[in-house]
Amino acid sequence: MISTSGLNISIARIAWLFLVALMLAGCGKKEVAVPPAAPATGLAVATDPEKVLNIYNWSDYIADDTVKNFESRYGIKVNYDVFDSNELVETKMLAGSSGYDIVVPSSQFMERQVKAGVFARLDKTLLTNIGNLDPATLKQVAMYDPDNQHAIPYMWSTDGIGYNVDKVKQFAPDAPLDSWSLVLDPKYASKLKGCGISVLDAASDIRSIVLIYLGKDPNSQSPEDLKLVEDQLMKIRPYIRKINSSQYIEDLANGDLCVAIGYNGDVLQARDRALEAGNGINIAYAIPKEGSIVTIDTMVIPADAKHPKNAHLFMNYLMEPKVAAANSNKVNYANGNTASEPFLNESVKNDPAVYPNAEIKAKLTPELSVADDYNRLLTRTWTRFQTGK
Amino acid sequence: MKSQTPWFRLSSLVFGFAFLYIPILSLIVYSFNKSKLVTVWGGFSTQWYGKLLENDQILDAAWLSLRIATVNATGATIIGTFAGLVLARFGQFRGRTMLSAMTTAPLVMPDVITGLSLLLMFVAMEQAFGWPAGRGITTITIAHITLTLSYVTVIVQSRLATLDGSLEEAAMDLGARPARVFLLVTLPIIAPALVSGWLLAFTISLDDLVIASFVSGPGSSTLPMLIYSKVRLGVSPDINALATIMVGLVSLGVMITGYLMFRRERLRQRDMQLASSAA
Repeated sequence: MISTSGLNISIARIAWLFLVALMLAGCGKKEVAVPPAAPATGLAVATDPEKVLNIYNWSDYIADDTVKNFESRYGIKVNYDVFDSNELVETKMLAGSSGYDIVVPSSQFMERQVKAGVFARLDKTLLTNIGNLDPATLKQVAMYDPDNQHAIPYMWSTDGIGYNVDKVKQFAPDAPLDSWSLVLDPKYASKLKGCGISVLDAASDIRSIVLIYLGKDPNSQSPEDLKLVEDQLMKIRPYIRKINSSQYIEDLANGDLCVAIGYNGDVLQARDRALEAGNGINIAYAIPKEGSIVTIDTMVIPADAKHPKNAHLFMNYLMEPKVAAANSNKVNYANGNTASEPFLNESVKNDPAVYPNAEIKAKLTPELSVADDYNRLLTRTWTRFQTGK
Repeated sequence: MKSQTPWFRLSSLVFGFAFLYIPILSLIVYSFNKSKLVTVWGGFSTQWYGKLLENDQILDAAWLSLRIATVNATGATIIGTFAGLVLARFGQFRGRTMLSAMTTAPLVMPDVITGLSLLLMFVAMEQAFGWPAGRGITTITIAHITLTLSYVTVIVQSRLATLDGSLEEAAMDLGARPARVFLLVTLPIIAPALVSGWLLAFTISLDDLVIASFVSGPGSSTLPMLIYSKVRLGVSPDINALATIMVGLVSLGVMITGYLMFRRERLRQRDMQLASSAA
């Protein structure tokens, strides 16, 4: 999940910039390894003396009974708090002593935080269910966290195109629905202008998408490639109605937009809202055949967590096939847990918007963080695109 | 003033009421909505009140917010009264400008800055002498007192500034010691300011999202934090139900306070009449 709500971003972003400057620059905290587990005796599981676990997760990102079942099975009291912005989490992590034992940042943020040394190394001997995870997803996480030392995947999501099926047919009957050219090719974009195109206000996401469309490396940091991206974006700029990361949910659901580059969870939500409202609007989501980028939300244990063993126990519990499946069934996100697949609802498992087929899945790339110099160039490019000058 | 046309006064009244109450009314109406979508009317139903009673997360957060707001309002009123008293009565003393600037600073400081600086302070304090251990209800309450203190101070100070100083002087002439003067003369006179300061502090605390987000810890999600984190996936109507109950309670509280104040005022007028007729 990627934070998009405007207010919270502005709340956290300022503070977060402060802190990143304050902390990343100066002190590199010593990385603390979790003390080795007590030898497992029979059925006993390793828990901390204090039967408490403090979890910090995205809001509405877990099945209703997941926490309750854990509490009754292990007799551990869970304090479950929710957030909706990566920046706020980063602020709390970098400030230290957050009090949480499990946190769920998105992968790009996790990478930076791992480098700052705020997370504990996982004790894999306590994570006996780790074999249930999809090796491909683990490998993607390892691009941010080498050897998966600190983080395991929780859920993953994709960028793609959400569209109003009937309107696209009406305005651009010849347009391909399975290609980025639907939005990025001026030929089709110009036809869809009348019914509305929206693009995520996320510079690095869109730059990777355009690079994929142009057949380049999505994580390329060369200024020449960025120039090509800008040229392409400027060609379609006149046809874009909105550059926004949250309004498009409502607009798609109400029929005010034809096409939006967005996140799969958001588009599915727009689809469900339209269904519930019964307004006859038919929303679909497609990951274009050229490929796209994938965002993984990962579970980590802060280095100063007071209940690291309980945290491992909960992580291990979440990787149980039935538990993982129940969570995905509830929240409509893919979980990266291969063993959970038999327990998924058909409607979730067979929804290409949640679980793309193998061919498309192979074309999904994680987006890596970029160097500061490149980031400056990217921001300038993005500003020119936003203002259309 | 007969020159003003009644329709003008009438329409300003209607506009004023509409401006203030339509949002609250629509919130109440939609709490009885059958549909899950907050903006689509799907028929009358009270199901969300039932759902609300089952939703421990929201109820816990609401209860926590109310407790924090109460403790905060009381603490802020006590400290703010003293600060206001010092600023209004102690004349010029060394550090007065400093105190005045510091108490009013949170009024003009952006919440983000207040929140972040408090967070960093709490972390530094914990490292230095182990208190507060972790963040939670205590730190949110302290942070809110820091914020709302300034409002109470300003209210009390301005009330004292308009207060007739000769009343206190008269009491002292009659032999009352300063503490007695404060308790028997000053405090009863500024009581309405204290009540409004308390209510203001209560409301601000109940409303605060930004500062609480920074200084909260495990198990201390306040109601605004919970609601805000839900907004993205669409607010469910049980929040409307909760808001309706709170609006109901607040209106009830305001009515009771109003009635008590009205009665007190009548008693006072009667006493004054009695006093003047006796003289």
